[in-house]
Amino acid sequence: MQKKSKGIFSKIYIALCFAFFYLPIVVTIVFSFNSSKSLSNFTGFSLRWYASLLQNGEVVKAVYVSVTIAVLATIISTVLGTITAIGLSKTRKILRDAMLSLNDIPILNPDIVTAISLMLLFSSLGMEKGYMTMLLAHIGFCTPFVITSVYPKVRGLDPSLADAAMDLGATPFQALTKVILPILRPGIFAGILLSFTMSFDDFVISYFVSGNGVKNISIVVYNMTKRINSTINALSTLVILVIILVLVAFRILPRVHRKRHPEEAGKDKSRKNRNLGIGMAALAGLLVLGTWAAVHTSGASRELRVYNAGEYMDLDLLKEFEQKYNCTVIYETFESNETMYTKLLAGDQYDILVPSDYMIERLIKEDYLQPLDWDLISNKDAINPDVLGKDYDPDNTYSVPYFWGNVGILYDKRVVSQEDAAQGWDLLMNPKYAGRLYMYDSERDSMMVALKALGYSMNTSDPQQLQEAYDWLIKQRDTMKPIYAGDDVIDNMISGNKAIAVVYSGDATYIMSENPNLGYIMPDQGTNLWYDAMVMTKSCRNTELAEEFMDFFLEKDNALRNTQFVGYSSPVESVYEQMQNEDYEGISAYVPRVGYEKDEIFHYQDAETKKLFAQLWTKVKAQ
Amino acid sequence: MKEYRKLSIPYLVWTVIFIVIPLILIVLYAFTVGGNPVRTLNFTLSNFAKVNEPTYIRVFIKSLELGVLTTAICLFAGYPLAYIISRFPDEQQDILILVVTIPTWINMLLRTYAWMNLLSDNGIINGLLAKLGLGSLHMMYTDFAVIIGMVCNFMPFMIIPIHTSLQKMDPSLIEAAMDLGASPLQTFRKIILRLSMPGVINGIVMVFLMGISSFVIPKLLGGGQYVLIGNLIESQFITVGDWNFGSAISTILAVIILIAMRLMKKMDLKEADGE
Repeated sequence: MQKKSKGIFSKIYIALCFAFFYLPIVVTIVFSFNSSKSLSNFTGFSLRWYASLLQNGEVVKAVYVSVTIAVLATIISTVLGTITAIGLSKTRKILRDAMLSLNDIPILNPDIVTAISLMLLFSSLGMEKGYMTMLLAHIGFCTPFVITSVYPKVRGLDPSLADAAMDLGATPFQALTKVILPILRPGIFAGILLSFTMSFDDFVISYFVSGNGVKNISIVVYNMTKRINSTINALSTLVILVIILVLVAFRILPRVHRKRHPEEAGKDKSRKNRNLGIGMAALAGLLVLGTWAAVHTSGASRELRVYNAGEYMDLDLLKEFEQKYNCTVIYETFESNETMYTKLLAGDQYDILVPSDYMIERLIKEDYLQPLDWDLISNKDAINPDVLGKDYDPDNTYSVPYFWGNVGILYDKRVVSQEDAAQGWDLLMNPKYAGRLYMYDSERDSMMVALKALGYSMNTSDPQQLQEAYDWLIKQRDTMKPIYAGDDVIDNMISGNKAIAVVYSGDATYIMSENPNLGYIMPDQGTNLWYDAMVMTKSCRNTELAEEFMDFFLEKDNALRNTQFVGYSSPVESVYEQMQNEDYEGISAYVPRVGYEKDEIFHYQDAETKKLFAQLWTKVKAQ
Repeated sequence: MKEYRKLSIPYLVWTVIFIVIPLILIVLYAFTVGGNPVRTLNFTLSNFAKVNEPTYIRVFIKSLELGVLTTAICLFAGYPLAYIISRFPDEQQDILILVVTIPTWINMLLRTYAWMNLLSDNGIINGLLAKLGLGSLHMMYTDFAVIIGMVCNFMPFMIIPIHTSLQKMDPSLIEAAMDLGASPLQTFRKIILRLSMPGVINGIVMVFLMGISSFVIPKLLGGGQYVLIGNLIESQFITVGDWNFGSAISTILAVIILIAMRLMKKMDLKEADGE
């Protein structure tokens, strides 16, 4: 083969490209050794994230799920895709074209569409969501990539080759494995790489088709975005290390061996066969382990399925609860109330949910919840009366408060003067700070800001008032050029990238404890007061255990550790007071304003209003 | 080779269950309103009518632009790399392609956070610039940041298929062309590019599809004002809970893409059969 054109320019070009690909990876690796939580400011070398990684059972399990699913899905879809590609080249044109077009559908559909449709499919087939459904879904979206990679190679294949082999006495199977497959090798290799990559990095589809506590790395990472920390960087560094080791072992060692013992070169074939055998054995092993994991997660006698927001609980408490009450907690997390609702809608079963006020109101209305037996909740008197008896559940028939807070403005004290900060929501319109603020990228919260700034109720559905709020947001967009951010605002404000941000009080508490230059105000025009609470679903059978769980989180020590971990305001009065004087002394965001008449709680919106809000917000952002 | 015809039957069955049925479900949602579409069957075109609104059309156009731009950059930067790699000895090629792929095994969100830390106003690059006594650059929340993030993420999906089609190309073809007096440019256009066309088309299709429906990267690096089809659909399905409208948007998206791919494949066939 001609091997020229490997001149200096080629080498420089390769180096540049690789530098570009590996730049973010290098950053990831470097910050896995950071001594602080920051992802942009290196404060010193430490191995603490590796230690916390090893202690984090959730992450270890997720690695296992990700790797086995990726390997199994890759093997199965490569075999399936390759034989299909070969078969297709021999089928009638009409069928072939139809299949090839259909094959593109999973690739071209946005992930969320595939995810929802598969979720509906599994639900309507009555399949329990977990490891198996995730694997099936992954095979589903990987196989098209294999077919796409292999098919062009099959098309370029000379059909007489196989015929010749068979004329010479080969069976069709022999002709396939000895003649055809070797020619298709580059295509198959590409297919393997693509499927492994797609499977390993998938979040959306995995999230919606899995359940029963089965999580892959992506699911863990995506639900960590609120408190992104270097544990995952440490994990990625280990993944890279393992990949490199495996590559060295498989690629380079045999070559060294061959160089030293050239006489063995002829035995390459037997080695290949042996490798194949090892591969098959590994596959069988994985399958066994996989099914074991699937069975193991749903085997315990007493179990409790808890569905909470991501990074919203000190997981050590879960372990202690399991020990104390001799049960298994299957813990899953969601990114938003709406995501949780979507999964409930598809028939996913949980015992305890931790939604927000307006969602609890909706769940009560739609008959998803069952009343609690407050007699079993021995710590009920410890609850701060300020957080009980709110509109969403006036007698707390269904809900036990979990955390609470409000929404306010976080500002850099070095940039924003006290007077300006006192303007409340109008600060967000102050041209002095144009281009230096974050708004929260959520239709409900942004409309709340505008409506409150204008002096209206945030629960209004009056078209005139909504129009005015919309105009306010448009004007703000044009004059202030804000960035509409999600949870990434947390890391950005800690790094001090902008001067002003609209945030939830609990996040503000955490940000302020990491960046002392910030202040928090609760606007005089009124704001959103919110409550997250534990509720028990209709499908919960072991209600006593569920109530013990709620009680456990109201116990003083546990509540203290939970609020220390999460940073949100505790509903347990004594803990709440203790934190104000200790950990969060001087951090105003930990102490939400109560009894202020202009503050409101969100109510559940009907479908039409919700659609209108979403439409207005898209217009604000996209124009 | 007729013996192998039956090999595609298992996947045919699979396709029906995992692709056709869900597809029918989505189309059904797109053409109905209210509740469970299978039970109520309230047919309507109103979901499609709703898309005909300047904001949404702008969202479509912006997504298409971003998809095309990302694909173009990946193609023009990725082709040379795939070509250079294909000139290496066989064993090294596999390793180089793996080296291209490995970064994509690190969680995408994490890589995007890494880019945020590199590009932000107080980020790593600006920190280095400040140490060198240079002024700071504003890179975050710009088209530049979004394109960087997308290209970094999707380029391997361009390189792999192009490399696959270049890999087993017979080098004697190139020699023959050169011997017959073709200039390097002619050789490239008439031989190399022609023969690698299936890979190029595969790469374009994959990167374009991922680019047009991506939303996490644009949202984090470009800010929430980067409303693309991907997040429009996501918010309809999750936040708003309007699966009908969400399905209608994705149906339109699917139709646009299918037409585009038909055209691409026609080109491919012409290339393969022509002249």
